[in-house]
Amino acid sequence: MLNLRLETFGMKILAAFRLCLLCLFIGYLGIGCKQSSKEKVFTHSSSLRIVATTGIVGDAVKNIVLNKAEVNVLMGPGVDPHLYKASQKDLELLSKADVIFYNGLHLEGKMAEVLEKLKKQKKIVAIAEAIPVNKLIKVGENENLYDPHVWMDVSLWKYAVIECARVLQSIDTSNAAFYKQNLDNYLQALDSLDAYIETEIAKIPSIPRVLITAHDAFSYFSRRYHIEVKSLQGISTVAEFGLRDITNLVDFIVARKIKAVFMESFIPERSIRAVIEGCKAKNHEVKLGGVLFTDALGAEGTPEGTYIGMLKANVKTITDGLR
Amino acid sequence: MLISGLWIIVTSSLLAISTGLLGCLLMLRRSAMLGDAISHSVLPGIVMAYLLTGQKSSIALFVGAIILGVGVSLMIEFIQKRFSVQNDAAIGLSFTFLFAVGVILISIFAQDIDLDQDCVIYGELAYIPLDLWTTPTGLNLGPRAFWILLALAIINISFVGLAYKELQVSIFDPLFAQATGLHPQVWHYVQVVLVSLTVVAAFEVVGAILVIAFLVTPAATAYLISHRLWSFLGLSCLWGITASIGGYLLAWWSGGTIAGAIALIAGIQFLIVLIISKIAKSKA
Repeated sequence: MLNLRLETFGMKILAAFRLCLLCLFIGYLGIGCKQSSKEKVFTHSSSLRIVATTGIVGDAVKNIVLNKAEVNVLMGPGVDPHLYKASQKDLELLSKADVIFYNGLHLEGKMAEVLEKLKKQKKIVAIAEAIPVNKLIKVGENENLYDPHVWMDVSLWKYAVIECARVLQSIDTSNAAFYKQNLDNYLQALDSLDAYIETEIAKIPSIPRVLITAHDAFSYFSRRYHIEVKSLQGISTVAEFGLRDITNLVDFIVARKIKAVFMESFIPERSIRAVIEGCKAKNHEVKLGGVLFTDALGAEGTPEGTYIGMLKANVKTITDGLR
Repeated sequence: MLISGLWIIVTSSLLAISTGLLGCLLMLRRSAMLGDAISHSVLPGIVMAYLLTGQKSSIALFVGAIILGVGVSLMIEFIQKRFSVQNDAAIGLSFTFLFAVGVILISIFAQDIDLDQDCVIYGELAYIPLDLWTTPTGLNLGPRAFWILLALAIINISFVGLAYKELQVSIFDPLFAQATGLHPQVWHYVQVVLVSLTVVAAFEVVGAILVIAFLVTPAATAYLISHRLWSFLGLSCLWGITASIGGYLLAWWSGGTIAGAIALIAGIQFLIVLIISKIAKSKA
């Protein structure tokens, strides 16, 4: 039952009123602070304002525009695209952007639907969707669902980078030649990266050349660089792994004498630890090979903070662990 | 920026009205956590809709979510009435069961597909000003979320307005209501279905956290200082609206998540009102 907590209705109204005032007060404080910092944001008003969803997409764009435009990335280092939540700052970046680049192929989930609708108002490009469909790996039996982790295959990611450059050249015609030059340089760097990964992975003996991780982000990597991939989890980071998955995996590791298993930046250690313990029980020592980068770059300023550096770091971790 | 901020505040306030009214009714029936239960229970609906249609588009999955949202409410009612289990136990039992069914379905049939409610169904308050509703002729009618939540607010206000007397009697004296032929059961089931529809539709436009917070916190704050049903309902809506305004401004100032900031302000409001009402009570 509702009790009488305050004696009069008047006091109730008073309490409500005080709170409204408080809220407004906090709000005005907020507006005041905001306006003082606003001028700084607008210093680059003449150049192109570009927003990229993931760090990996942002890195592709940055390599094309270099210092000619401002590139803002929504999902910073270590952010799982599946769990990303937009903030007020992100909304400001999105609404002020001249062009927005995203991965596509359902990597961004619900956000992609919003971007899709926003296409009527501004230039928005899903760069991974520029890759020819016959080169993509299907997931499930259904039509039109593809694995979005295309950047794991450098030869496929080149299509995305080319698409980036094409769009930028068409929007910012005055810098088109500059972008073309940067694209050519970057594609060369990607070609040598592709060759580097291929030769490095090929050095691992073929029987234990198996990449075991918790989350299935390596199917393109596997196909391109001829390394078998086994994982505990499906594509989604939400579905839990089953007991039978672990037992099967343990038997597999023991049979193939695999030396290391790997983790990813934002998958809990627990799941892969269970596999290591299981192998130990069967007298097979398997070590934790280290952390692999999948959906997000490393911290800014470090070598892993770029796409090329991230893949190189992955290759080093894999070869060190398995050889 | 000002216009899009205004849209967010208005849309969030409309949500606050719907959930404020329903939250009061849920609290009086001791099922305040129904919103949280629904947010988890929609998972098997999403998975089954996906398995049946093979599509990841929102509409098919949304229908699946609605069916399960209504389903879980009815399931809770059934368990509670039929087996005389406590209400909170019935809620816990139903939603963990359904969530588990969803997880198992995913691990058996859709292992390699990214299917979870956060990803495919739940919206985000920050996207409201970007997700516009335009007519085929190109006329911009404003955010889609605004119209959905306006419709929900109108439906919920009409429901409470039409059934006010019935609700009052059936909540406070169910036996008397039965005796006077007011059919409290009928109104109750209408309410249950309405809660499910509102909650799932609101999840789709603003995300789960804000809806769950809005179903519980403003009503709890209002409960501290109300002694009449109408003032309880009114204050609950009011607290939701002030939290929307304050929360948006907080998010603007901090650059953080808007739904989080609104839920935080709603919680702070509760604390302040609690302290004020305690002081007033001790003086009395």
